[in-house]
Amino acid sequence: MGRITLDKITKSFGDVQVIPPLDLTIEDGEFVVFVGPSGCGKSTLLRLIAGLEDVSSGEIRIDGKNATETPPAKRGLAMVFQSYALYPHMSVRKNIAFPLRMAGMDQKEQDRRIDNAAKVLNLSDYLDRRPGQLSGGQRQRVAIGRAIVREPAAFLFDEPLSNLDAALRVGMRLEISELHNRLETTMIYVTHDQVEAMTMADKIVVLRAGLIEQVGSPLDLYKHPRNLFVAGFIGSPTMNLIAGEPARAYDATTIGVRPEHMALSTESGKWTGKVGVAEHLGSDTFLHIHETGLAETITVRADGEVTLRHGDTVHLTPVEDKIHRFDGEGMRIS
Amino acid sequence: MATQHSRAAARLMISPAVILLLGWMLIPLGMTIYFSFLRYNLLMPGTEAWAGFENYSYFLTDPAFFAAIWNTLFLVGGVLLITVVGGILLALLLDQPFWGQGIVRLLVIAPFFVMPTVSALVWKNMFMNPVNGLFAFLADAIGMQPVDFFAEIPLLSIILIVAWGWLPFATLILLTAMQSLDGEQLEASEMDGAGAVSRFFHIVLPHLARAITVVILIQTIFLLSIFAEILVTTNGGPGTATTNLTFLVYAESLLRFDVGTGSAGGVVAVILANIVAIFLMRMIGKNLDA
Amino acid sequence: MARAVSTRRKAAVTALAWTIGILIFFPIFWTILTSFKTEAEAVATPPSLFNFNWTLENYTTVQDRSNYGRHFLNSVVISLGSTFLGLVIAVPAAWAMAFVPGKQTKNVLMWMLSTKMLPPVGVLIPIYLIFRNTGLLDTRVALIIVLTLINLPIIVWMLYTYFREIPGEILEAARMDGATLRYEILYVLTPMALPGIASTFLLNVILAWNEAFWTLNLTAANAAPLTAFIASYSSPEGLFYAKLSAASTMAIAPILILGWFSQKQLVRGLTFGAVK
Repeated sequence: MGRITLDKITKSFGDVQVIPPLDLTIEDGEFVVFVGPSGCGKSTLLRLIAGLEDVSSGEIRIDGKNATETPPAKRGLAMVFQSYALYPHMSVRKNIAFPLRMAGMDQKEQDRRIDNAAKVLNLSDYLDRRPGQLSGGQRQRVAIGRAIVREPAAFLFDEPLSNLDAALRVGMRLEISELHNRLETTMIYVTHDQVEAMTMADKIVVLRAGLIEQVGSPLDLYKHPRNLFVAGFIGSPTMNLIAGEPARAYDATTIGVRPEHMALSTESGKWTGKVGVAEHLGSDTFLHIHETGLAETITVRADGEVTLRHGDTVHLTPVEDKIHRFDGEGMRIS
Repeated sequence: MATQHSRAAARLMISPAVILLLGWMLIPLGMTIYFSFLRYNLLMPGTEAWAGFENYSYFLTDPAFFAAIWNTLFLVGGVLLITVVGGILLALLLDQPFWGQGIVRLLVIAPFFVMPTVSALVWKNMFMNPVNGLFAFLADAIGMQPVDFFAEIPLLSIILIVAWGWLPFATLILLTAMQSLDGEQLEASEMDGAGAVSRFFHIVLPHLARAITVVILIQTIFLLSIFAEILVTTNGGPGTATTNLTFLVYAESLLRFDVGTGSAGGVVAVILANIVAIFLMRMIGKNLDA
Repeated sequence: MARAVSTRRKAAVTALAWTIGILIFFPIFWTILTSFKTEAEAVATPPSLFNFNWTLENYTTVQDRSNYGRHFLNSVVISLGSTFLGLVIAVPAAWAMAFVPGKQTKNVLMWMLSTKMLPPVGVLIPIYLIFRNTGLLDTRVALIIVLTLINLPIIVWMLYTYFREIPGEILEAARMDGATLRYEILYVLTPMALPGIASTFLLNVILAWNEAFWTLNLTAANAAPLTAFIASYSSPEGLFYAKLSAASTMAIAPILILGWFSQKQLVRGLTFGAVK
């Protein structure tokens, strides 16, 4: 079981309140991603849940029990750190065994769990090595192994993939998702990368300056961003935000059109502009259009076969029912 | 990583060190200040009496005090000059590629590990002795009159001995700093047409500025308190020719047993050292954020 | 980028560097050499470089005449003792400052450093009197106390700079894994910081071994370490160069070797991390 409830928790460092009163419930078995730009308080929030920082006020409940004052080790949570935080002077086996040893578990049970975790994570051949002799991906797996063996109520991940190169990151993303499917344990995952959030989460929590901007499923956030911030943060390439006259035509202060919801034509369309840079990815082409009178640059996603070049004139038409409208406060008009 | 719990633990763990150092600083220093206002001689116990600023006026007007101040300044200044200039030159040399770098480095650093009493006595007897010393022999060999170092140039002799011990320190620190100089920066300036000399003055020396300051300040702290080298070579003499402030205070209090005057001298030394210390702390304090 | 240097230039630099290196090292070399000469040969003119009768008699005379072993032991006990004691006090303090930094941490560190700048003469008399009145004058205990205190700021600082390089996340991981504070420091931090602790240890043994203000002023016959023992050669009797050399060689040899091993850490330790 791993149901975590945050009840009006706040956190201040000195006079600076980094987390204003915040409520959030994480259901058992959920994969929740905290996402937001750096400095948004997502890591602090994770550390409050872990118990590595004290909350300034409010209550943290784990499975209904008040855990606000409980020391980190007693909360039944396991954490995977950004730097992996492996003990460099211990072998992989000893690293994974460490929490079990601390808990005073008998040797047989320790070995069973370690061998099990090693098998799941493909670490069986490396158990006697030191962390320094492993690759980045392997270290990451050891850190996860150390978390798994505790059979925690929930896993906490603090930007675990940010030290890996791009190719490995995609692989580890899948592994963690598969792990979640197999273990069905609550996972809380912090990242600044909205792609990780979209691909892994059951539920995304978008944070800015300690405030929750929106909570919802990935598609929910994609389809119905509650405000301009979420609209601009979720989705890649980012949504085109258009203010002024074209927006007023839709009874809004700002409208948003995702690059994939902009139809492209060389003959006619609602808006006109010139191609700046065309990025050919093979599967898709991202066109950066200038001189549209809408915004500095409008990004359009076209299919991979497009042959437009720098300086060509193009016409754009938004897909009407995919237009997002926002009011003067930046909130969604539905 | 800061919870109430860990903060409390941190305070507990830091306190022994803080309390001990606080005690070490405050109790004896307080006593010194107190003694400095007393007429207090160890040979006449029980006759202590309040003396006001008498000790200070006695100490500060004593001709030996002025001699000691000058000697202290010359000693510190002389050693700094030799070690900093020599250190820069040596660092420049050792930074070049050559065969046996590691061994030469060991040879150069060695004097720093020689205890002051040993270096002073070895230099005094085996090198600077006007009859049996190696320098006397060399002077004879080239037909010159041997120098009687501790009679003719006592302070300079001590400066040379001390500088020998501290040259490695300056060299090592400056060499370390020099090695952290980005090679591409030098190559860029070379591409820009800077010759070896202007490269040194415009690139290398500014890069070393911080290390040089650190060398000067740290050596000053230690050099203000030079004691053993004087004790075993000249005992402050001839006359007061090699008496520095530290040695003068020692002589007043433990040779003449005049605790009052000695303490006043101690307070003066503390004040002088603090002036240097303030600069040093600024330097290191800045570095703490980096 | 290292560039190819012409062999000619390299040879010239090599010759110059070796000459200067040998000149700087020469007094130590000469001392060691003289320690194997007889007293007559030690002052012979011209001095002989290698063609003399090598003898060990100076080493035995020094030992017989002056109880050299006792002073050597004093040096060992005092320098190791004060360094151990200093580490025991400093490790927890440095842990606290490196991993639970507060608003005052920087000030506390700077203040600790400032105690190092207190000139010893400023407190010589009270310390002398305190030890005299408590009967600790001329004891190893007194010197261990004093040397621990004067080197404590350096020990704390060195450990602090080493600890700061250890990622705090590892200690947090240990805490999440259920390690108690004692376990965290003893079995996670200490093994990881071992190289740093070792160099701190070495440098402070060296500093304590060579300390020559307090050791000269607070000891007489009993607790005198080698610094004070060698100082007794300042009033010469007859021919003594060879014996002085033998005593000196024994006094500096162990620390010279330790020093050679720890030269890199020396920079870091003595500049309080201001030069790396």
